[in-house]
Amino acid sequence: MRGRPLLYTRYEADQAILNTVTKKVMVLIFLSALLLIPFQVLPGLDFLGENDWLRLLSTVAIFIIGALGLNILLGLAGQVSLGHAFFMGVGAYVAAVLGSDPEGLRLGFGLPMWIWLPAAGVVAAGIGVAFGPAAVRVRGLYLAFVTLGLVFVGDYVFRNLISVTGGAEVGRTFPPLEFRLWKEDTPLIDFASDGAWFGIELTSEAKTFYFVLAVAILFMLLAKNLQRTRVGRAFQAIRDRDIAAEIMGVDEVSFKLRAFGISSFYAGVSGALLASFVGTVIPARWDLFLSIQFIAIVLIGGAGTVAGVVLGTAFVTLLPRLVQDATLWMEDVVETGDNLLATLLDLVVATESTDFGLINTLPGVGPGLSVFQLNQVIYGLLIILFLIFEPLGLFGIWIRIRNYWKGWPFTY
Amino acid sequence: MTSLAERSDAPPTGVGIRTAAVMVREWAERLPDGVAMREKDYGIWQEYTWTDVWELVQDAAHGLLALEVEVGDRVSIHSEDRPEWIILDMATIAVRAITTGLYPTNPSTEVEYLMADSGSVVHLAEDQEQADKVMEVIESLPHLRTIIHIEPRGFRKWRDDPRFLLWDDFLEMGREHRAANPGQLERVMSDAALDDAITLVYTSGTTGPPKGAMLTNTNFLFCVENLVGIEGRIPGKPPNPADSILTYLPLCHIAERIFSAWHMAGFGCTLNFAESIETVEQNLREVQPTLFFAVPRILERIHAGIIIKGKDGTWFKRVWFGFGMKLVSIIGAQRVANDGDHTFLSRLLYLIGYPIVFRALKERIGMRRVRYAAVGAAPIAPELIQYFLGMGVPLFELYGMTENSAVATCNFPGSNKVGTVGAPYPGIGLRIDQETGEIQTKHPAVFKGYWNKPEKTAEAFTEDGWLRTGDVGEWVDGTHVKIVDRMKDIIITSGGKNISPSEIENSLKTSPYIKEAMVIGDGRKYLTAVIGIELDVVGDWATRKEIPYTTYRDLSEKPEVIELVQGVVNETNKKFARVENIRKFRMIPKALDHEDGELTATQKLKRQAMTELLREIIEDMYGS
Repeated sequence: MRGRPLLYTRYEADQAILNTVTKKVMVLIFLSALLLIPFQVLPGLDFLGENDWLRLLSTVAIFIIGALGLNILLGLAGQVSLGHAFFMGVGAYVAAVLGSDPEGLRLGFGLPMWIWLPAAGVVAAGIGVAFGPAAVRVRGLYLAFVTLGLVFVGDYVFRNLISVTGGAEVGRTFPPLEFRLWKEDTPLIDFASDGAWFGIELTSEAKTFYFVLAVAILFMLLAKNLQRTRVGRAFQAIRDRDIAAEIMGVDEVSFKLRAFGISSFYAGVSGALLASFVGTVIPARWDLFLSIQFIAIVLIGGAGTVAGVVLGTAFVTLLPRLVQDATLWMEDVVETGDNLLATLLDLVVATESTDFGLINTLPGVGPGLSVFQLNQVIYGLLIILFLIFEPLGLFGIWIRIRNYWKGWPFTY
Repeated sequence: MTSLAERSDAPPTGVGIRTAAVMVREWAERLPDGVAMREKDYGIWQEYTWTDVWELVQDAAHGLLALEVEVGDRVSIHSEDRPEWIILDMATIAVRAITTGLYPTNPSTEVEYLMADSGSVVHLAEDQEQADKVMEVIESLPHLRTIIHIEPRGFRKWRDDPRFLLWDDFLEMGREHRAANPGQLERVMSDAALDDAITLVYTSGTTGPPKGAMLTNTNFLFCVENLVGIEGRIPGKPPNPADSILTYLPLCHIAERIFSAWHMAGFGCTLNFAESIETVEQNLREVQPTLFFAVPRILERIHAGIIIKGKDGTWFKRVWFGFGMKLVSIIGAQRVANDGDHTFLSRLLYLIGYPIVFRALKERIGMRRVRYAAVGAAPIAPELIQYFLGMGVPLFELYGMTENSAVATCNFPGSNKVGTVGAPYPGIGLRIDQETGEIQTKHPAVFKGYWNKPEKTAEAFTEDGWLRTGDVGEWVDGTHVKIVDRMKDIIITSGGKNISPSEIENSLKTSPYIKEAMVIGDGRKYLTAVIGIELDVVGDWATRKEIPYTTYRDLSEKPEVIELVQGVVNETNKKFARVENIRKFRMIPKALDHEDGELTATQKLKRQAMTELLREIIEDMYGS
């Protein structure tokens, strides 16, 4: 009710995603800010409109889709899965086979995106459900092992199925992001090249950003809606206590299978978009590290919440960039400066092959961690720290801040 | 008494007076889709529009006709507050029968007395618990023909008993009767007379058995038109359909009946039924009513809740909260000194305090949208009113009793004198007897008499026809009335000094630690008191001080707790003259309860019962 936020007279209002005016306004502001990013008009954030940042933000949007999938499985239904990267790989190669040029080097049927993108999700979901019967029999650590197996099976298959994947060393190209009605020559909408939309000149990066943003928002709404349905509640019941859920009439096997299916669908779509966005991908892209990255996203962001997934993805995806920038800055100081700061930083970074340093900017030479390895270490540390100190993740921190003010002037 | 069957053939008289039921019909015509009632069920506030309510009232009224309820028959209702209560009440008024409400806490002995005394023919028992109470004493209720129950659960053991009728079946029966006898209800309604009794409201019975005060259509109309509806009684417009009310006190009590049922019928206010008395705070927060009526006990509870939660805050919040409470006391004092209105200083401080504490605080206690709050039905400590005024809740004390349909005095905006019960309503007769100091009233809302108790009725009036309220009062500034005490409660010490115990008791009860207090001293050399603690608050305090305790009694008798209460007693003693000081006190060893006969249904202390119960403890205080 207007002016009485707690007086719910209909279930629709009680269950609304944006149930307060404040939330509506905040979402509106956030969305308009996102739409304005490519125009570089936001004070202080105009750098986000630069092409390399736009590419990074598009990656974030694509990763959000994948992370939402894992969140449904891990955050909602409570099933640990290390096999997420495998399903993304399946999606990517389904897209490649269906969407690639038939005259190309590798297998391809040249079908339009409106076929290959959903198909990527559907095939991945199918494999997820097919794999389900093995997975629903085990829990916790054992489930982690079973799904870990998937990644290695996938790795082997991807390396050897050269006609589809291009083989371990070379990889293959993926269909570009463009929208055709059928196999006509000029695409109806082309996201992968510069051009004007409605009279506004846009770079290919900006167009791609808008496209993946729209898809990500669609999948966020679907995920949010899932939480409010019987299926979503059944998932949460299984997460909290599977035996209790069964006693309440939740068919455990059926709902676990659905969780695997839905999660794999998200992964497939995300994988297809990622591969298409990057262009050329080798099979090693879909390895264990990618799975761990997604687990990090869900756990750092806050398991079980869509907002947490968004926060977590932004954090995890932008972290390498920050680490890289920081390393470059440190190198710069060490090489040009001759003060105390430079001396201290010299202990951290190694700039020459004989140099000692925790971070080695010359990969493969000398001791120390590469930037990539450092990222892995940081993910690992963050997962441990969040699990111990803030199990609800970044979103949990926000909830705490919000509750602090909600309770004002009391504590509860 | 004419039977309805005979009269239903007669043409409608067409004269018709505006009874409460007629008013409901008018609202259904004027605001068919307006919300009349909300009830929280299955997690959301289910709404009843005026059309829904009027349809249900007609069905229920026809149901009563089908059950052969005749003019002047009694229909008793034993239920928590819920829409069915109001619907059956209005239906009863529509068929010119008389509603009697029973408190949900009434034990079966009291149910027996009340139902035998009123001789009700149709009884609404909410659920199995209330039905059990009737069935225990059914032998002594020969008039009772039908027991309607709302909840179907637990009635299987009586499934062959023809007296039982499910509410839904009752309505269905009404619908059939309505289809078969169209227009009958309209004819019955238009026959209503001003002198028809519409309800029996039983007095709480602090002395002797309860008496059923008969209130009539005249009483209702006068109360609605000359008390509730007059301009300037509440800040802003008189009550109207935009107003929201939380219904949470027992509807069988005159205060809630006027504040809920009569506000709804008379002014179209929306009623929101609280889930139960325990959830009042939560429901208040959800509903955020615009009009709020409370008994002192509720305000004491809210106040204690604020203080405890405030102390529980983190350091930063405690500091802000403390600052806010400081502002409350300054603003409150300013407003009390200025007849309840803001002064320049208090307005300024309020502007400072509003964004940082008051807005959130009022939201939390559900009073952010309250434009008028009233307190009455029992004496209240002025400090408490000052507190709520200080945080910006426009709180006014008023005074009235069952026998005059609560039409006596109230504090008006602009002349809110804290510590008085306000000025008489314009145009009513109210006087204070020169000799005894008793307040007496005379106006059209004064009741018709006690049901079947002519001698008691006679006692209630003076020789010249004024209603004796039994309350001793005095004039303040020639316009406002201050209640000294109930006449029979005044203590005369052996030194011959007249002392009003309730003033001292209320001062004690201002402390959040104290729930009950009874001052003793009639015919004694000095005053003593028995005091009962507020278990939640003192329990919380003890936990904080790391004092282990097990039961209420154990906690009461802890030396630390006695010391705590001694502190409160000392504070109170400072405010009163020497003869009014409490020399000794003892703790009440149990939590008082209605079902054990220590409290009335309205949570008032039964002095006589308490004196009997605690005889030894009291004598001990006066022992050598």
